[in-house]
Amino acid sequence: MNYKTLKTDKLPELFDKIKKAGKTVLAPRKKGNKAFFSTFDSFDQITFDYVQSALSPKSVLFPRVEELLTYKNLDDSYSIKEPELKDEVVVFGMRPCDGIALDYLSDFFLKENPDKLLQDRKNNTTFISLACKKFDNDCFCTSVGSSPAETKGSDLCFTDMGNGSYYVEIVTDKGKKLVDAFPDLFADSKEMNKVEQLAKVPVRFDLKNITTKIPTVFETNIWLDQSLACIGCGACAYVCPTCSCFDIQDECNPKGGTRLRCWDACAFGQFTIHASGHNPREVQSNRWRNRVQHKFNYSVENLNTISCVGCGRCIRVCPAGMSIIEHLISVEEA
Amino acid sequence: MQELHNKIKSMLEGNSVALFIAYQKNSDGKITPTFITKPEQIKKAYYGDDCRQNLAVYVHKHEVKHFGKVGILANIYTLKALLQIYAENQFKDDYLKIVTVNPKGAVVEFANFQEVENYISENKPAPNPEYVAQVEKLSNLGREERWNYWLNELSTCIKCYACRAACPMCYCTKCTVESNQPQWISAPSHSLGNIEWHVMRAMHLAGRCIECNECARVCPMDIPLNLLTVKINEAIDTEFGQEAGTKGKLDFALSTFKVDDKENFIR
Repeated sequence: MNYKTLKTDKLPELFDKIKKAGKTVLAPRKKGNKAFFSTFDSFDQITFDYVQSALSPKSVLFPRVEELLTYKNLDDSYSIKEPELKDEVVVFGMRPCDGIALDYLSDFFLKENPDKLLQDRKNNTTFISLACKKFDNDCFCTSVGSSPAETKGSDLCFTDMGNGSYYVEIVTDKGKKLVDAFPDLFADSKEMNKVEQLAKVPVRFDLKNITTKIPTVFETNIWLDQSLACIGCGACAYVCPTCSCFDIQDECNPKGGTRLRCWDACAFGQFTIHASGHNPREVQSNRWRNRVQHKFNYSVENLNTISCVGCGRCIRVCPAGMSIIEHLISVEEA
Repeated sequence: MQELHNKIKSMLEGNSVALFIAYQKNSDGKITPTFITKPEQIKKAYYGDDCRQNLAVYVHKHEVKHFGKVGILANIYTLKALLQIYAENQFKDDYLKIVTVNPKGAVVEFANFQEVENYISENKPAPNPEYVAQVEKLSNLGREERWNYWLNELSTCIKCYACRAACPMCYCTKCTVESNQPQWISAPSHSLGNIEWHVMRAMHLAGRCIECNECARVCPMDIPLNLLTVKINEAIDTEFGQEAGTKGKLDFALSTFKVDDKENFIR
């Protein structure tokens, strides 16, 4: 890996130059007390005062609704047009855990049957993570095999060293390309010890115990106990950086139409309902079990990795205050 | 809290309920619902001004109904929701035992919905001044500005349906948005689909919203959805003199026909 430094007061200039080069910059902006990745006109609109963004940067690669194709009915034939994605995007300020999630998302969409749209978006986007200096009670990255020092999945990783400069780790070629484009802003650096600067997130459970245990507790009552509070919304799945389920919707009229890919969530009763009316996940406890089993069991079977990065968003957003940390501890103790 | 714990204990031991739904305060200060079926769980039950979630949402839940007789610790908005749900004929007799903690801190158990109605009329919650100010601010905008405000807010909706799930009055087993034969409204969360969804939901809550503001509290995108139904309620109250969650017997403004209606077109 190569290393650079960037003076913190040069960040606005970096963003300006990236924008002048024709790229879109997304950075956290506050709405109320939540931070959302958003475009901005001036640097003072963005915020550094957040533990975690409310939505993950997943939506940059996998938007909540996206056009797969449009078609037109002609007199005796039809025409189909697929979208061409050319916009180049730089995402700044995601947390290191989100990088790991982006890697998972890429595996999911690209490994077996590569999804062109996601591939194009990934090629066109540079993800810059900003390592965590603080954490809250819902953060548990260190319990799921990661930490605020993680660089995997980010293109560049910035750490505020507390001395007026960012320590910049160049993780990928895409990251290197961005840094190389602005040589007057970045200075060469040797490898530094950044860990002292970072949040010390406590370990809450033993992951090995959970991945070993979870396939054996499928037919137990713990899912009902855990999910009585679940009100069956999709908030946890939609803020989750790795949840990748989608629904296909066609919007059409006799002249033509559009095929859309939209987020979907296994917490919804309609998610598994069959055309016959039969629903194999008839009650919320079945649906909740699926969510936890997917993250810590099925993902391991399918993609050889768990699909939870410990970002804590599902806990912060849950209308009923459910905590996956507590639920995993109850699996460990079951 | 001891009086509350004793009450739950006597209800469980006397077999008057098999499940008691209450609040608990976790070590990090977060308030969550708790589902008490065993005596050793009773000590978790908590009540305070910080108990915001409207627990009435659980009375419709399949797994909760499965317990048979259910007890519920209700804040004033949960009481209003339960009374409105009762007015809409959604309860079997004897399904629910309702308990609240009154402003003096005493535990009150209701024998029937008439008592709930009386309690609500004596303990009517004051409108939240923050929401009153927001509604007033929006009402004073021009029509176009107001439309743009909502276009902008609703464009951020991700359609996670937390607003619907957290709403005690959204208890349909199949929501209009889920109907695909015919598809009444657009399912994707693009701007049009979002507007159709929220306008439809607000209309279905006209005169039924009990103003617990849960929809706004739970929204991951912080959209002030409650302002829509609060404003519609204002109109229903002015035009039809009806207020949701205050009476056990209601003439429903939007599903009742009167021959002496003041509008000509309807006669």
